[in-house]
Order: sequence, then C-alpha cells, then structure tokens
Amino acid sequence: MNNLQLKREFSPLSMGKKTRQRLTTYILIGVIIFFFVIPIIRLFILSLIQDGQVTLATYVDVLGEGRTWYMLENTVWMVLGSTAISVALGMMFAWIIAYSDIRGKLLMQLFILIPFIVPSYIVTLSWTQLMSRNGPVASILDWMPFQFEPINMYSMGGMIFVLGLSHFPLVYLFTVGVLRRIPRDLEWIARSSGAKRRQVFLRITMPLALPGLASGGLIAFIANLDNFGIPAFLGIPANIPVLSTAIYQEVVGFGPSAFSRAATLSVILGLIALGGTLIQWLFVRKSKRLETVQEDHSPRYSLGRFKTVLEISLWSFLLFVTIVPVISMMRSSLIKTYGLPFKLEHLTFSHYSFVLFENDRVLGAILNSFVLATVTAIVCIIVGTTFAYMRTRKPNNLTRILEIFIGLPYALPGMVLALAMIFMWLQPIPGWNPGIYGTIFILLIAYITRFMILQVRGSITAMSQIDPSMEEAAQVFGAKATSKWKRILLPLMLPSLLSGALLVFLTSLTELTVSSLLWSSGSETIGVVIFNFEQAGYTTYSTAFSTVIVLGILLGMAVFYIFQQMWKKRVTEP
Amino acid sequence: MTTKVENVRKVFGDFEALKSVSVSIEEGEFIAILGPSGCGKTTLLRLIAGFEEPTAGSIYIDNNLVGNENHVKPPELRNIGMVFQSFALWPHMKIYDQVEFPIIHHSSTPDRIKSNRKKRMETVLKLVGLSDLSERRPNELSGGQKQRVALARAIAHEPSLLLMDEPLSSLDAELREEMRKEIQILHRKTKSTILYVTHDQGEALAMADRMVIMKDGAIEQIGTPEDIYLRPNTSFVASFVSKAILIPGSWEGSVFYPDAAPDNEWDGKCIASAFKENGTYPVRPDEWIMSKKFSGIQVVINNALYQGREIHYSATDQTGLTVNMITPISERYEIGDKVSIQKTGTKVVSVTSTTAR
Repeated sequence: MNNLQLKREFSPLSMGKKTRQRLTTYILIGVIIFFFVIPIIRLFILSLIQDGQVTLATYVDVLGEGRTWYMLENTVWMVLGSTAISVALGMMFAWIIAYSDIRGKLLMQLFILIPFIVPSYIVTLSWTQLMSRNGPVASILDWMPFQFEPINMYSMGGMIFVLGLSHFPLVYLFTVGVLRRIPRDLEWIARSSGAKRRQVFLRITMPLALPGLASGGLIAFIANLDNFGIPAFLGIPANIPVLSTAIYQEVVGFGPSAFSRAATLSVILGLIALGGTLIQWLFVRKSKRLETVQEDHSPRYSLGRFKTVLEISLWSFLLFVTIVPVISMMRSSLIKTYGLPFKLEHLTFSHYSFVLFENDRVLGAILNSFVLATVTAIVCIIVGTTFAYMRTRKPNNLTRILEIFIGLPYALPGMVLALAMIFMWLQPIPGWNPGIYGTIFILLIAYITRFMILQVRGSITAMSQIDPSMEEAAQVFGAKATSKWKRILLPLMLPSLLSGALLVFLTSLTELTVSSLLWSSGSETIGVVIFNFEQAGYTTYSTAFSTVIVLGILLGMAVFYIFQQMWKKRVTEP
Repeated sequence: MTTKVENVRKVFGDFEALKSVSVSIEEGEFIAILGPSGCGKTTLLRLIAGFEEPTAGSIYIDNNLVGNENHVKPPELRNIGMVFQSFALWPHMKIYDQVEFPIIHHSSTPDRIKSNRKKRMETVLKLVGLSDLSERRPNELSGGQKQRVALARAIAHEPSLLLMDEPLSSLDAELREEMRKEIQILHRKTKSTILYVTHDQGEALAMADRMVIMKDGAIEQIGTPEDIYLRPNTSFVASFVSKAILIPGSWEGSVFYPDAAPDNEWDGKCIASAFKENGTYPVRPDEWIMSKKFSGIQVVINNALYQGREIHYSATDQTGLTVNMITPISERYEIGDKVSIQKTGTKVVSVTSTTAR
C-alpha cells in the first residue's frame, strides 16, 4: 500500500483535524489575551494619559502629595506587621502538626483553616464585636479592679492583628507539606553524625523548609497587600488609609481626575504585588527538587510531659481566635438595639427574619452571589480543566505563557483588577459600549478572570495525579474522546476537580474587593450588602447576615467533605 | 496478517531515539525486543501503538498502513491490545468492567465476540484464572492478580497484535518466574501475535520465538534465542545477552589464538566476522574451565560468590582484563589463588608450532 491509498483512507479527517486544532489554538490565545491581559494594559495606559495626552503628570501629582506618602507608609507598616504575624503563627503550627506527637491533628488543622475559609470582613466584624465597648471583653474587664479598656480594633494594630490572623493559614499550608516531605533519614543522619536537636533544626530542617516558608510568607504578603475588607472595615472609620482603600475612595469619590488618579495608585499597588509574585515564583522554582518525595505523616518528635500543656494552650488559642469572636458576633446579632446589654429581655430573632425574609436587597444579594458563584465555578471547571489538560499533556512554552496570563488577574490586587475591568468594559473596543458595565455581567467577567487560575491549578493537580498510562490504556482499548472522558478521566479526577471548584465557588460567593467597585443597584453581592450595612451603622443586620453566611459555609464544607471521603473510598489505590 | 515496521525513524527535539528501524512480525509470533534503557525499544512500541508519530518511515498492522510521517491513525483505531508496565488498571472500575471495556468500546472487536459478550468474558476470565475476583477493584488485588487482569483486558477483544511494555518489571523475582510461564501458556492457547519489550535477557530468552536486540536507537541483531545467545553478531550482543567477555588474540582462518596463552587453539567456525575483524573472541562465563595444572590464560582470583548450585568467580589476568566465570560447585579456589583458565574445547598445541606461525 502506498501513501496515496493512505491519504484516501483517512486524510480528510486528519487534515481537517490539524487545521481545526491550529484554529482552536489561535482563538484560545486571542480570548485569553482579550479577557486576561488587555484590561491590565489599558489600566496602565490610562494612568499615563491626562486630557488626551501621554504624560507622567498624574504620577507627579499623586506622588507629590504628602497624603500619598502617609498612605504608602501605612501600607508598608500594615503589610510588614501582618506578614510577620502570619509567618510566625504559620511556621509554629506547621512544625507542630508535621513533626510533633500531639493528638487530634485533623481537627486542629480544620480549626487552623477556619480564619481562611471565613471571609476576612466577617472575621473583622466578629473581632470588632468581641472588643466593642459593650462586648464580652469589656464586661469582663469591668469586673476587674483597674480601669482597663478593650483593645481598639479600629487602629493600625487592629488591622495588623486581623490580617495576620486571616492569612497565617496560607503560610501554614505552604510549610506543612514541605516539612512533611523532608526525608526523616536526613535528620537521622545528622543526629548520628553528632548534631544536637537544635543544630538539626537550624542546619537541616530550616534550610530545607525555607523555600516553602518563603513562598508561604510571600503569598501572605500579597494577600495582606491585596486585602480590602479589613482596612475598609477598620481603617476607613479610623481614617487610616492604605493603598487598597485609597483607590476605592478615589473611585467612589468621583473627583475631577478620579479615574486616572486611581489608575496611577493601582499601577503602584500592582507593581508591588507583581514584584512579590515574582520573588515567590523564584522560590517555588527552586523548591521543585523536594516535590517527588512522599509526604511523611507520622510524628518525629515526642513532646513527652509537655504534650498536654501544649495541647491545652494551642486549643485555647485556636478557640479564642476562631469560635469566641464568632460567638460574640452572634451575640450582637441577637440584641434588639445595638448597644443594649446582653440580657434575656433584650434578645430577639427579628434581625434574622429581617435579613432573611423581609429585606429584598439581602435576598437579592444572596441570589446574585449564588448565581455568580455557580456560573463562575461551572465556567472555570470547564475552561480551566480543558486548559489544564492542554497544559499537562503538551507542556510547551505557549501553554506556559498562557498560564502566566491567566494568573495575572489573581496575582494583581482585586482593587486593581476591578478598576481595569471598569475601563475595559465601558468600551471593550473603542467607540462601542455593550452595556456590560453597571450590570451583573461585569461582576461575572471579573470573577471568572480573577478565579480561573484557582481552577487551572486545581485541575493541573488533579491531572498530574493520574498516570498518563490510564488515558493511554483507555485509547488502546478503543475509547474515543467522549467515552475516555466520561468513563475514565472524569471519574478519576472528580474529587480533586471539585475541591478546586469549591474553592472558586466559596471565594466568589463571599467576594468583596472586586465587587465593592463593580456592583450596581440590583447587582449587589453578599459582601457588598454586609459592607453597606456596616458602613451605614446597621451592626445588628450585618452581624445577623454574617452569622447566616458563616453557618452556611460551614455546612457546605461539611457536606463536601463527606462526599469527597465517600468518593475517595471508592477509587483509591493503595 | 503481519505487522511491519519499515525504516522508521523518530526524533525528539535534537535527540534521535530511533535510526531507521525495520522489523516484521509474522502472525502468531512472539517477538521480544531487548535492549538497555534508552535504546529506543519503548519508543518503538509506542510508535506501533500510535502514541507517537514517526519522523520518517511507515508502520503496518494487519497489512494496513497505520502511520507514516504524514498521517497517523490514533491508537483507538488500531487493532491492538496492550499490557502496560504499571498495568494501568483503572482504579475506579471493577475487574469485570475493566476486561469488558475493550469488548464494548473497541471498533475492531469481531461481531461474534460483541454479540456473545458474556460468554467471551467467562472464557477470558477463566483463561487467566480470575473468575472469582471479577467483582473486586484493583486495590483489592495482589501484584500477580493485577498482572492477570491487565493480560485479560489486553486479549479480550482478540487484537491482531498484543503489545507488552516490560510487563513483569514491577513484580518481585519469584512472581516474575511464574508469570513468564503464564504468558507463554497464554500465547500458546490464544495464538496471538505478541511484541514484548524488556531489558531482562532471561525473559526474552525464555519466552520469545525471535529476539530483536537494540542499542542506541538501532537494531543490532534479530534471531532466535539460541542464535542470539550462542552466535552473537556484534560485541554488544555478546556482552549484553550472553554476558560474554572479549578475549584479544589473533585469528587464522577459523582458528583463534588468545594473546595471553598463544599455545591454546580455539575453534571459531561459528564466530561472526565482526569479531574476526577486530581480533577478539567472545567467551561466555559458563564456557571457562579452571585448573592449576594445564596451560591457559594465567589469572588471579579476586572474587568468589557462592551461589549454592555454582560459584561465580571473577579473576584478573596480567593485562588487567577481568574475566567472569561460572563453575560447578566441585571446584573451589580461594581469593588470591593463581590459576589458569581455558575455554572448553581448547586444543593445546606445541610451542614449536606456535613459534612457526
């Protein structure tokens, strides 16, 4: 048989396939650049334009004001302070969970993650209630002989504290895996070569754990810089501006050159964040060599008689930072009028019935957030998994660059992305306004572009856990694309795929930063409504609504966890 | 009904994995491709399976062209079965569903199998001895049972070519021996055409009808196990398959005189010309006899490994050449002993006749 015959046999199909593949690739590149890259470029360009001319005037103006430098100084202190707290707490818990023999590690890990799962503005709200003038801490202090005041949360210290607490789980998550992957033999060899415990920690464990610790720390740094909820709830009332709240106030203030000033501040904020991401990326690249080693979950150090003492103090700390504030938030939500003492005759469920049944804005917001989060999760799971498949099966420079592009909107602070979205979707193509800005669709586009990378990462992880031979076997035994995905790939990937989607869903559901700039009447989200209640002084409503959200999230997590365990039992290989 | 690989070349970036390889496999034949890691044997298998596209050359299965440099038929449209090195059992599926998968999905499954699916499943499961385990999942099976599932799945749809990619390498030594027999029995019963890739000489010698020895992306020699073992064509085949050592010396026609013992005369009628050209003679470890009495190559024993049935000696001669020998248990020498060694069948000729040469 010769080539001609072969061509007749199956060339129409394969020729068409090749052209189609190339076309798909071009479309994909175009779409990714249009949605993920161009908005950011346009934001940058806008910061350079004033009265239709390219100029650095806005930068000169903004950087020439004393207010800007005061705000930048606040930002530096806030980010450095909170990152230090995050790293210290994260490292401590990671070491204890990875190496010590304390009991109940699984439950403890769950409690460590709570401050991260609960949206940071709700954490803030609960702390302000705990420390409020008529909150539980104040009433305990009143009993005491001296004139103590509860800590004022509306301060630089308060912001640093809540930020540090909200983001230490990030450091923990990055470090604990690295610690577990350090082969125990390395420590044994050091011990048998005569090193003392302290020397083993300083000379062996620390250097090996450093990449994880550093990248966790830098992620926390970026999260602290990016956060809007905490400085908005605590810093705006106390008149302590930082970069993210300054951009927000610039935009909602609608000054004469508000947008270009906000764009300029955004470029500054974006550059700091991208610098952090770059350093983090360099660290992660270096830490690759430990990745192939299996995680070792058995304890390495016995705490002996200190065990009980340590367990009690750790649990007290965790309960104090997670449960106690939430309880005091619930307390506030049950009081008739904010400010009344907590007594039985002052208690009511009316705030709950108000937010859940009587207020259309709340119901609308729940519906909006739910729809937004669901659609975002579905779009991300389809597009993100398709991209992850390309990325893992054809790891070339093109897909690597596209992954960086997809990651940009997440690496940039949310406030910067929100502003970029406004400029982009007012007129996606100059001279054409499709009317997306001012509707719920701009929120949808913003969420999808911002959180896509979370699903891509999740799906890449899911994909890399499946040996390529699984798919090859499906092909050899005759499965075409549809049955290959339906019968083999999806069932194998589902648990990890869904945990990526759950992350996307939860983050979208309670998103505040991007929404605070992009919402419009009728397209409020959960975060926006809580923020507006709080700004208007309706503390009882904001606490009641937040309580509902916290309980909803915990319930959702529990259901998901049970489902995942059941599924894993079915498919795990020893 | 043959499988043919014609002048196939495969390049990855600037690495040439295969340099113009040609093999043809007859129907019902068991072919083993043997070579060290990185020799291109797995690449060849993946090209035949359709996971890779040839850079040049053509591949035929059942006399149908399935791939050349322009067009490649995807694996799911090739009439093949495959046993993977890692078994590649789908962890979420019951054994029965795994084995049934190709019968349902493969487009070249014959109709008589498709319409009698249950019957075929019974036959296949019985053939590999898994009838009782068909409701289990892979994580409830031992290594050997997993191997049987992988075999059953590979033959269920009666493919015209069965590919095996180092299928025994993830089993322990004892199980490996047992599975060799099973695969051989399976081959006899199903009369299937098998292409078996391995780096283990023992497996290839024991099971194959013909062996293909590969090195650096090219074929060194094709032949029956006996051919390959007793009559290697190249020094690589001699040392890789028969573990032979190359003794330097001089050839006179078909007679060889080792440099280290010029009065020894070795018959070399069956030795390939490549050796005659470079003045060496391949000797396998089991061809040596040792003694302190006769005239032979003088060596010093520097290692002895007691194996129960036999002893493995290694010894060094004056030029620093290390010779490995396998000798019966009856002869014992100590480390440091000076002995002479002869190839079996050596004729000792008088010194005068050697000088006359």
